[in-house]
Amino acid sequence: MAETVVQVENLSKLYRLGTIGTGSFRQDLQRLWNQHVLGKKDPFFVGAGQKDFSSGPGHIWALQDINFEVKRGEAIGIVGSNGSGKSTLLKIISRIVRPTTGRVRGKGKVSSLLEVGTGFNQELSGRENIYISGYLLGMSKAEVARKFDEIIAFSGIEQFIDTPVKRYSSGMYVRLAFAVAAHLEPDILIVDEVLAVGDADFQKKCLGKMHEVSQAEARTILFVSHNMQAVNNLCDKALWLDKGVMRAFDESSAVVNKYVASLQKHRLRQVWASPAEAPGNEWVRFKCVELIPHLDETSDIIDIRTPLTIRFRFWNLRQDVSLNLGVVLYSYSGDCIFDLLSPALQCQQGLVEGECTIPGNFLNDGSYYIMLTVAKDSSIPIYKFDECLAFEVEDYRGDISYYGKWCGAVRPKFPFRLEQKEHALLPG
Amino acid sequence: MSEVTSKWNWEITGQTSYWGASLQELWSYRHLLGALVKRDFLLRYQQTVLGPFWGLFPPIMTLVTYVLVFGKFVGIPTDTLPPVLFYFAGIILWSFFNNSFSGTSAIFRDNIHLFSKVYFPRLVMPASVISTHFSTFLIQLFLMLLLIAYYALFQGLSLPVSAHLLWFPVAVATTAALALGLGLLFSVITAKYRDMGHLVSLGVRLLMYVTPVIYPLSSVPEKVRWVVQLNPLTPLFEAFRLSLLGEGTLTGAQVLYSIGFAGVVLVVAMLLFNKQGDKLIDVV
Repeated sequence: MAETVVQVENLSKLYRLGTIGTGSFRQDLQRLWNQHVLGKKDPFFVGAGQKDFSSGPGHIWALQDINFEVKRGEAIGIVGSNGSGKSTLLKIISRIVRPTTGRVRGKGKVSSLLEVGTGFNQELSGRENIYISGYLLGMSKAEVARKFDEIIAFSGIEQFIDTPVKRYSSGMYVRLAFAVAAHLEPDILIVDEVLAVGDADFQKKCLGKMHEVSQAEARTILFVSHNMQAVNNLCDKALWLDKGVMRAFDESSAVVNKYVASLQKHRLRQVWASPAEAPGNEWVRFKCVELIPHLDETSDIIDIRTPLTIRFRFWNLRQDVSLNLGVVLYSYSGDCIFDLLSPALQCQQGLVEGECTIPGNFLNDGSYYIMLTVAKDSSIPIYKFDECLAFEVEDYRGDISYYGKWCGAVRPKFPFRLEQKEHALLPG
Repeated sequence: MSEVTSKWNWEITGQTSYWGASLQELWSYRHLLGALVKRDFLLRYQQTVLGPFWGLFPPIMTLVTYVLVFGKFVGIPTDTLPPVLFYFAGIILWSFFNNSFSGTSAIFRDNIHLFSKVYFPRLVMPASVISTHFSTFLIQLFLMLLLIAYYALFQGLSLPVSAHLLWFPVAVATTAALALGLGLLFSVITAKYRDMGHLVSLGVRLLMYVTPVIYPLSSVPEKVRWVVQLNPLTPLFEAFRLSLLGEGTLTGAQVLYSIGFAGVVLVVAMLLFNKQGDKLIDVV
């Protein structure tokens, strides 16, 4: 059992909203007057524990009652939508801001990377910036000196090292900045979304470095990211924050699953009670449309492996017509992925049902919507039901350590053979 | 291992301490201090032809102005000293105080981008500001010594080398302490109440006129002299001139008053800075 290196207890952070500064002098005086002279309660700060206070105007609980522990050598991913308190949490653990209540205790040296290029100055050369940034991030002089060549090599900007950073391209700047950060050797490393910058190639390099660091003995990482794939692969555990409240703290795959499921915006089912209010025309009226994902018990999100069944029922209002149904799938950008036509059916007045299934491992990740079309005598269109269903397909890559966007409209799993035919060293 | 498990290296709570960072921690950031001073120097003089000699330009221009305006037109007496030496001594010590104080009092405003992104003992920043201005002061002092040598060699200025030289480190160190103390105090106040920032720059300008920068204390009429003497900077400027030029009006009690004043301000300011510093990040 590894020892606990970070312990967060009942952590809460309250922020005042609006213009702080002007007017606060008056408020401060008023507060002093009320507290010390009149002996009343502070009108501007009511102690924590009174959760209903969050509804009060002018204040917001950026974090509420956060509790968790991190063991030595663990990598913890922190996920949540914007404004959920992730950065505030990291700032508190990095000793930059103070919590309102609660405490954080820990062991070992902490380094935090809350931005790329902390302390970088545009006017100074790369060399100077490496030193300043290194010291600011908590490296000793000997450490910077020892790693100096390594840092330059990692950044790949040897020839520009004595040029002022202002003349660097933004890519070079980011590479140098990350190179410094990547060579930190703290016991606990705190990283805030710094990987969101840079091109795909650079991100890959950074994630690779993070992976290397997290594998290293006794290195603990706290890592905020919007890249679920990275959290899944790099982190042992994940913490999900939602509007300052802890929603889950568990195995990273389980947390990511829950978090992504909460984000997916679906229109998976529409039902109408009577033909009068149902969409349609004098030929057909839809009773229900429905998308049924075939989820297994380990997951409640639709990812690229999930087979999807589209089922619909409609009232046929005419006697004895030959109808074809079409299922047209569009990507969110409006590109048609496929247009699937049913066989023709000689229909009588009354309810008609149909369904078709998109197999798993066929669609790429992304957002999709479905249009149903009805045609008569396999040629004359009589009704189009646009955007009747909408869904999102989440990414899944298993052990593949490529983190960039997978391209293509579809991602089918066709048989693919790769084998070694001959084993010999090439000449030369 | 159970004993180790129960021990924590650090703890972060809503309570801030008056003591701030430990000396050991400050010491571990000494290289940062050096790098920051170097940075300030490079930033100021990089890509200039004259480099650090630009540090001499403002005091020389001020000197010319003072000699013309106060010396020639207004005719303020400078005791028996040549006006050039008299004014220059006042100017360099005043600019050291003024720059250190103004720089330190703007510490939160100028460095919020750093303070909000990375932790380091916040005292390193004001220390680097004072060190930067101190090195500029040393360059100016070098010119001062050249001027003294010129007057001694060619103008027949007599410079009795005496025990008065011992006042020099006292005057400079106390001035630095006072600038740092007041600067820290006002850095906290101005970060919280922006209005004070404007008052501070005005206040410093007025303070110069109750400090013997352009006039010797001995020329102040007896009736209002107590106003000037209330200013803890006064004995320091007199002691500074006494040590370098051999003329100044001061008593041991006055110097003790200055040292005591600077000491109290510095201690109070440091405690306040430690206590409030971390909280201020939320409001700057």
